[in-house]
Amino acid sequence: METQAAPAVREGALEEASRRRRPETLLMLVPAFLLLFFFFVVPYGYMIYVSFMTHAAARTFVRTFTLHNYVEVIWDPYHWQVIWRTFGAAAVVTIVSLLLAYPVAYHLARSRGQRQGLLLLAILSPLLVGVVIRSYGWMILLYNTGLINTMLRQLGIIDKPLPLIYNMFGVGVGLLHIYMPFMILTITGTLQTIDPDLELVARSLGAGPAATFFKVIWPLSLPGVFAGTILVFVQAVSAFAIPILLGGFRVITAPILVVQTVIESFNWPLASAMALVLFLLSVAVLGIYGKIMTRLMRGIAA
Amino acid sequence: MSREVSARGSITLPAPAWHVPRRARTFLFKASLAIIYGFMLLPIVIVVGAAVNAGEYLTFPPQGFSLRWFVRFFESGPFVRAFVFSLRLGALTTLSSTLIGTLAALYLVRHASRYREALRMFMVSPLLFPAILTGVALLIYYYGLGMGGGSYAGLLIGHVLVTVPYVFLAVTTTLYNFDRTLEEAARSLGASRAKTFFLVTLPIIKGGIFSGAIFSFIVSFDQFPISLLLKGVGTIPLPIQLYDYLRFSFDPTAAAVSTISILLAVAVVLVTERFVGLESLYWRTGR
Repeated sequence: METQAAPAVREGALEEASRRRRPETLLMLVPAFLLLFFFFVVPYGYMIYVSFMTHAAARTFVRTFTLHNYVEVIWDPYHWQVIWRTFGAAAVVTIVSLLLAYPVAYHLARSRGQRQGLLLLAILSPLLVGVVIRSYGWMILLYNTGLINTMLRQLGIIDKPLPLIYNMFGVGVGLLHIYMPFMILTITGTLQTIDPDLELVARSLGAGPAATFFKVIWPLSLPGVFAGTILVFVQAVSAFAIPILLGGFRVITAPILVVQTVIESFNWPLASAMALVLFLLSVAVLGIYGKIMTRLMRGIAA
Repeated sequence: MSREVSARGSITLPAPAWHVPRRARTFLFKASLAIIYGFMLLPIVIVVGAAVNAGEYLTFPPQGFSLRWFVRFFESGPFVRAFVFSLRLGALTTLSSTLIGTLAALYLVRHASRYREALRMFMVSPLLFPAILTGVALLIYYYGLGMGGGSYAGLLIGHVLVTVPYVFLAVTTTLYNFDRTLEEAARSLGASRAKTFFLVTLPIIKGGIFSGAIFSFIVSFDQFPISLLLKGVGTIPLPIQLYDYLRFSFDPTAAAVSTISILLAVAVVLVTERFVGLESLYWRTGR
């Protein structure tokens, strides 16, 4: 009994104590806070400020308030064409990656042990290879004198090279390759939480494979589909490396246009306004998509 | 309802119009899986193949095995310089972001009471904003500060900014799974706070710190958008050098460089596997 009474520390007391007093622990947050405040919050704030300034050729901008940059972004049909292309490509990549990733995720979620580990490794390993290297691999394959065109020509199937690169197709393939692992892993995560017995129950109650899938598995996996599609769409809209490497500056997307405006035309106010409009548009698209998906999911739960 | 179900269960169902025999269906499913896995691994296999191919261009069939492109890489000044620079930048980035991220994680899990969720969102926010826009914002800001666009410090800060969230996430995850009674035991047995931290806490959260550090290094080593915008004359990381090279030539030297980078990534994965297990790689992708 004595030994039990001896420790003065009550369970959880340490935790409470460390949380309550000791203002000096706040020092631990200081480096991270300074970094994020001065090199993340302030730069984005400065970007907003610059977007309302007036462009001047000699010194990038002068401190005169104007709404001209936003007017230019919103009224110029070329900008809308680029934005439309960017969002359209991102949507197509998202849908195709969902269609391809779903069977892989389903299979991965149902695999066990070492086999699952190996498959997981095959999906994760491309993530560890840099984006330039992966694009280079696609260049070797898709170029006019690349592997695919050469092989098809040697086999006599085509006599003119297929246009596989420096167009939307090449960019789409590259984006798909980069973002598929995210879709696969997110959907696998949800599918793993679905009890495999549910499928057996549905089948034994007479549902065919298609009905089992569309009435049981698919609705239950919607949260994963939702998260995966958002993850891929957000990244595809703001992708930069793939569109310049596999689009060869012949496919201009919104992020490329922003960068060109900064480092080629030196029009920082316009570039800032473009960046912010792009950002707000993606948030808006996600907001609408989120509304639709929650309604869909609620409809299924009811 | 129940009658219908039991009735349907007892009789064989009419086959749907598109019915495919079960074995053919399994085969089709397996074949499409193989194609998708092949698609995922193809470009990487091709790059490695091009690096060890003897020919001037990667042709089909391959022209035999050779290490000449690796020799070409080691003789090439710009590539070796960029490689060494990326290693140094990666090391310095990893060191800084591991320290900053671990401290912030310890504060958040152990000491933050109010605003904890807001603080967590704040810490991961650099991951939620597109790296290319963050790069543009930093570039304009650096000019505004009078630092100019190509300084080493500016590039390093950009890299630390986008790697800190990974360390933060990895360490908070291990801290939440941490059994605090171990610390309480150490304290009640008379260990000082510092001693408890170094002898009890640190060894247990080591795995999280380690995997956070590994990710910092890989993200920094492969970083493209931030590096492209913030690079300077003497500060050109490897992916940027590779990108510049590929604009003019497809010669397999680039493949040799890429293969060495891939080998580095493989080594990093093996080390991670060895120390903390592959599962720790999972959280990053499912963020």
